[in-house]
Amino acid sequence: MGTPMQSHDRTTENDHTRALAIEATNLGLTYSNGTEAVTDISLEIPTGEVFGFLGANGAGKTTTIKMLTTLLQPTTGQITVNGYDALTESNAVRESIGYMAQETSIDPALTVREDLRFACRAYGVPPAERGTRIDDLLDLVGLSAKADDRAGTLSGGQKKRLDAAMTLVHQPPIVFLDEPTTGLDPAARTRLWEYFRAINRQGTTIFLTTQYLEEADALCSDLAVILDGEIVASGSPTDLKSQVGGDVLEITLADPSDTAVEHAQAAIEASEVIAPDEIETVQPTEDGLSVTSTRARQIGTDLLVGLSEAGVTITGFNIRSPTLDDVFLSLTGESVDDAGDEAVRSTDHHIETRQ
Amino acid sequence: MTTTTQPENELDQSPEKTTGNGILGDIWTNLLRWNLKKLREPFVLVFALVEPLIFLVLFSQVFGQLAGQAVPGGDYVAYLVPAIVILVALITAAGSGTGFVQDIETGMFEKTLVSPMSRTAVFSGKVLSDILLIVVPTLIMLGLGYVAGAPVTTGLLGVVGILGVALVFSVWFMAFSNILGVVTGSTRVTGIVTNLVQLPLLFASTAFVPMDALPGWLQVVSSVNPTTYGVNAARAIMLSGWDWGVIVPSLVVLGALDIVLGGMAVYVLNRASSAAVQ
Repeated sequence: MGTPMQSHDRTTENDHTRALAIEATNLGLTYSNGTEAVTDISLEIPTGEVFGFLGANGAGKTTTIKMLTTLLQPTTGQITVNGYDALTESNAVRESIGYMAQETSIDPALTVREDLRFACRAYGVPPAERGTRIDDLLDLVGLSAKADDRAGTLSGGQKKRLDAAMTLVHQPPIVFLDEPTTGLDPAARTRLWEYFRAINRQGTTIFLTTQYLEEADALCSDLAVILDGEIVASGSPTDLKSQVGGDVLEITLADPSDTAVEHAQAAIEASEVIAPDEIETVQPTEDGLSVTSTRARQIGTDLLVGLSEAGVTITGFNIRSPTLDDVFLSLTGESVDDAGDEAVRSTDHHIETRQ
Repeated sequence: MTTTTQPENELDQSPEKTTGNGILGDIWTNLLRWNLKKLREPFVLVFALVEPLIFLVLFSQVFGQLAGQAVPGGDYVAYLVPAIVILVALITAAGSGTGFVQDIETGMFEKTLVSPMSRTAVFSGKVLSDILLIVVPTLIMLGLGYVAGAPVTTGLLGVVGILGVALVFSVWFMAFSNILGVVTGSTRVTGIVTNLVQLPLLFASTAFVPMDALPGWLQVVSSVNPTTYGVNAARAIMLSGWDWGVIVPSLVVLGALDIVLGGMAVYVLNRASSAAVQ
């Protein structure tokens, strides 16, 4: 399992001219009640990258992004964003970043254009440029027709797009997106992804947190997986998938009860078609079990026949390449959804508990 | 850190570096937004204008008969007008904190904090917009007094003076209300606490009866009550003229309170984002 340092050092060694957009060293944050939200996080994110911070609810994603955006002061560690120290030069950091919070943040009493104008003023966009800047952004996020509507009357997806536009008014070199598509329908999500890709093509570094593996896979060139306030894996999506240890053979059983699955597991381990050390994992799934192995494609059929001979009734099977979901499963022992259900976000500030 | 020492990367890194607006620009940005929000709630505006009239009628009718004899000159309406000016300032100030609570709920609070705007400007812009909400009702009140035969003895300059006293009086309580709003994040708590504080502020003062008509212990409370300072200064300008012996100490006390509580409000805003770490 590679540390984030290793994977990024490799990048910077190959290309010395690439500066780091974000550098964090040994970040830790302990809340006043003693909860350690983040224990020891180090990041080196080169300019121009789309970096994904992947984890379940309560893993420490929001805490980390708030430290990087100067909204929270870390208990330990150092942060440099765009070359500025987040603690001593926080205003320079604030000028050079855009931050989109997890909860949509717009002023519902203002019109769409007024909201954008406020953002322009707040970030010191020169008055002469505001008009065109706002028109361009409205065009980018597809809200031109809504420009003079009250922001409060927009749909959820439209509000999020307005929020994204407000985040981009000053053309920040780095954009922080905290779970940008959580709660959006698939069409709205795909649409937002397109904007993010577009601004990244223009050179913007993007730091994004997500609990959607699919989103990380679609957008990010580099990833870190965070679990209980620590980075447990990092690398490109392909790197991470290759850590899973092969292809996945998914087997659906007629009887997916615990005892039947255990019986099937025992049968696989005793099977002669594959040596035990060639099997990366055998894991129970919702309707049966899955076998991960570099030889899954070669031995799949034989294994299924073996199981059948051992009295296991198989109703379906599928061999596929590993996904980030498998990465998460192999790292945490549970799927991202299950981890989210167990998380208790007792330490969050009231700002985050709004509707 | 060596990341900033390569000039050729500097250009790539910051396609556009925003220029600071300065504190005045930031105050203007915030003032504009809060004013715009107020215009979108015409009911609140209308109520703010009608409010002083209701107070004047109610208080003069309820207390007039009894307190009329106790006040110098026996003209209770003239006695009441400056008190209601201060009362309007107090009520407007009390509601000020709910603005930031709404901002916390809509996410605008965090959006403001993550921006490079000065925290002092964020607070000042908000307070200035609420102060505007005091100006018009105060003028209405003084106009009503004039019509009812209780003009400001110091004339138009006196009107400006009373307005000035009302504004200086309002800032410390606005700051208090905003601190409550930001710290509790709750409209309800902010409302309950400011209302609770408002009552003794109002009644344990010289607002409705002269100092010597109050029982002994209330005279003590009244003598340290900021409302007394505000009302006495406004009343002096209204009834007896430029009595600097009353006006100056009042403004000094209120100004000092403004600075202390205003400073606390900016401090609370500054650390609001890291409030969870405490």
